[in-house]
Amino acid sequence: MFSAAAPRRGSGLGFAMPAILLLAAFFVIPVVFLLTRSVTEPQLGLQNYAALVGSSTYAKVFFNTFFVAGVVTLVTVLIAFPVAWALAIMPARWSAVVFAIILLSMWTNLLARTYAWMVLLQQTGLINRMLKAIGLIDQPLQLTNNLVGVTIGMVYIMLPFMILPLLGVIKKIDPAILQAAALCGATKWQALTRVLVPLATPGIASGALMVFVMSLGYFVTPSLLGGTANMMLAELIAQQVQSLVNWGMGGAAAFLLLLVTLGLYAVQLRFLDRKEAA
Amino acid sequence: MTPFLHINGIRKTYGPVVATDHVELSIAEGEFMTFLGPSGSGKSTTLYILAGFQDPTAGDIRLRGQSILQTPSHKRNIGMVFQRYTLFPHLSVGENVAFPLRVRRMGQDEIAQKVKRALSLVRLDGFEDRMPAKMSGGQQQRVALARALVYDPPVLLMDEPLSALDKKLREEIQFEIRRVHQETGVTILYVTHDQEEALRLSDRIAIFNKGKIEQVGTGPELYANPATHFVADFIGDSAFLAGELAGVAQGRAGLRFADGSTVAAVPLHGQGMAGQAAELMLRPERIELTPEAGPEGASLPVTVEDLTFLGNNTTVSARTGWGAALTVRLNFGHPLAARIARGDKLHIRWAPEAAHAFVKG
Repeated sequence: MFSAAAPRRGSGLGFAMPAILLLAAFFVIPVVFLLTRSVTEPQLGLQNYAALVGSSTYAKVFFNTFFVAGVVTLVTVLIAFPVAWALAIMPARWSAVVFAIILLSMWTNLLARTYAWMVLLQQTGLINRMLKAIGLIDQPLQLTNNLVGVTIGMVYIMLPFMILPLLGVIKKIDPAILQAAALCGATKWQALTRVLVPLATPGIASGALMVFVMSLGYFVTPSLLGGTANMMLAELIAQQVQSLVNWGMGGAAAFLLLLVTLGLYAVQLRFLDRKEAA
Repeated sequence: MTPFLHINGIRKTYGPVVATDHVELSIAEGEFMTFLGPSGSGKSTTLYILAGFQDPTAGDIRLRGQSILQTPSHKRNIGMVFQRYTLFPHLSVGENVAFPLRVRRMGQDEIAQKVKRALSLVRLDGFEDRMPAKMSGGQQQRVALARALVYDPPVLLMDEPLSALDKKLREEIQFEIRRVHQETGVTILYVTHDQEEALRLSDRIAIFNKGKIEQVGTGPELYANPATHFVADFIGDSAFLAGELAGVAQGRAGLRFADGSTVAAVPLHGQGMAGQAAELMLRPERIELTPEAGPEGASLPVTVEDLTFLGNNTTVSARTGWGAALTVRLNFGHPLAARIARGDKLHIRWAPEAAHAFVKG
C-alpha cells in the first residue's frame, strides 16, 4: 500500500554498475588470474605456497613486512592522536591552515617525498649533521638502507591516513565531557585513558587498519629507503615477477597479502558490529 | 564569621571585554543560590571560575576560608551538572556514576554501595547497566546529578541543566532537584536565565547584568523591593512610565509626567534631584482599576484600549493621559470586568509601597 512512497533498497545498484564492472575487469579477473598462476606454475599444486611458508628467506620478508607495518601503525597512532586533538580544538582558521598543510603533503609526489627523506637521512644528511652539531652523536647514524629509514619514511607518508579518521571521531566528542571528567576528579592522564581514547577508538581502529594494510603492500618507500637487504613483501612480488619472471611465486605472495588484508578487514567489521550492537 | 563560600571581587576580562566585574557574594552552607541573568551577563563565567575552567583576572574564591583558585579542577572536589548531557557515552549508567570514585581509587565494595545510593537518590534504582544513549534527556540529567553528588562534594554547580528539556520535563526535574537539595543539604549554585525557574528553586537569587550583580535577595524581596530598573524589569512583568522628578525627600519622590499629571511619595531608588529624568514602575497585579480617581498622588487617569480574557484573569491594556501603555489584571469575577469597554475613561490607583521610582542614569 505504501510501496510507492517507500525508498527502494535495490535502486542504487544501477548507479554503482560502472564501478562494479570496472572492479570486475581490473581487479577480480587479474586476482583470479594470479591465483591460478600461483597454483599452476611451474606445475599444478601448492608448491609456491609451501616455498613461501617454508623458506627462512621468505619468512624474513614476511617478518620485515609485518614488523615494519606494525611499528609504523603504532608510531603513527601516537603522533596522529595529539595532532588530531589539536586540530579539533584549535580555532577554525588555524586548523584550516594546518589541515591544508597536511593535505598538501599528501598531494606531493610520493617519489619526491621519499627522495627528500633519503637526502635528510643519509650519513652526511641534515639529520645526522644536526645531531652531531648538538653533540648527541660522534659517528653518523645509519638511517638509510635499513628498516629504521623505512619506518621513518612510512610513518611520514601514512600520517594523514591516520589523522583524517581520528579527526572525524574526535570532532564529535563534546569538549564539555572532558570538563566533566576533570570535575569528577580525573587527572589529565585519567581523562585521556578513560574517556578520550575509548571514545576515539572507532577512529583509531579504522585509521590503524588503513595504515597497517597500506604499509603491508607498500613498495616505493621500502625499496628506496630499505635497500635490497631488508626486503618487504611488495618488493618480493616485484622481484619475482619483474626480475625472475616467476609469476607463480609472485602470485602466491600477492594472494597471501590479499588474504591477510581481507582477514583484517573482517575482524574490523566484526569489531564495529559489536560496538554498534552494544 | 567566615562565610562558607565567599566570591570575593571576581573580575574576568578577555582583552577589552569585561565578562564579570567585582562580583562579590557570600553563600551559606546548604544554601540554594541562583545566578539569574540574560546571556552574556557574566553568570556562567562566574560559575566556570568556581569550577576551575577559567582563571579570574582579579579577585579570590574562598571555601571555608581557604582560597581554591590555586587548586586545579580535578582536585577541587566540586560537583557539576552541565547544560548538555555530558555523560560518558561509552560507559553504562553505573560506570558513569562510579567514575568519580574509580579515579579516586576507592574500593570495589564501597563504590558499588555509593553508586547504588546515588542512583536511588535520583530515583533511578536498577538502571546501572543501561547505556546513556538509551535514556531520555530527563533521565540522563538525573544520572549526571547522581554522578555529581556521588563523592559528596561540598558545593554543587548547575549550569542551566534544564535548558535542553521540554517544559513538562523541566518542571518534573525542578521538583527532583529541590528534593535532592533537601535530602542531601548540599550547597547549590545554579545558573539560569529563566526567572520562574529561579523563583521556584532558590533560597536566594543573585541578579546578574553586564558582568555585575545588580541585587541579591530572596524571590519575594527582589519582587517587592527591586533595587534597580533592571531587576524590576527582570523579575515579574512591569510597566515603566517615563517622567521627571518633581521633588525628593527622605527616599521618596514625586514625579511629573508629560501631560502635567503628578504622583507623590513613591519609594525612590538611586540618587536624584528635581528635574532629573526618572521612571515610575507599576506591576499589573498591584494596581487597581477604578471608576473614580484614587487618593491624590497614588492615582492616574487612563483610557481602556483593549480587553483580553485569559481564563483566571482579564488583562486590560490601557493608556495614560500622555499616551504611555500599561496593563492591569482583573481577577475572574471582578465586578468591573463585565462593565468596561474600549474607550472607557477610568483611573488606576495603588498602595504607596507598590510603586517604585528609578532615576534614569
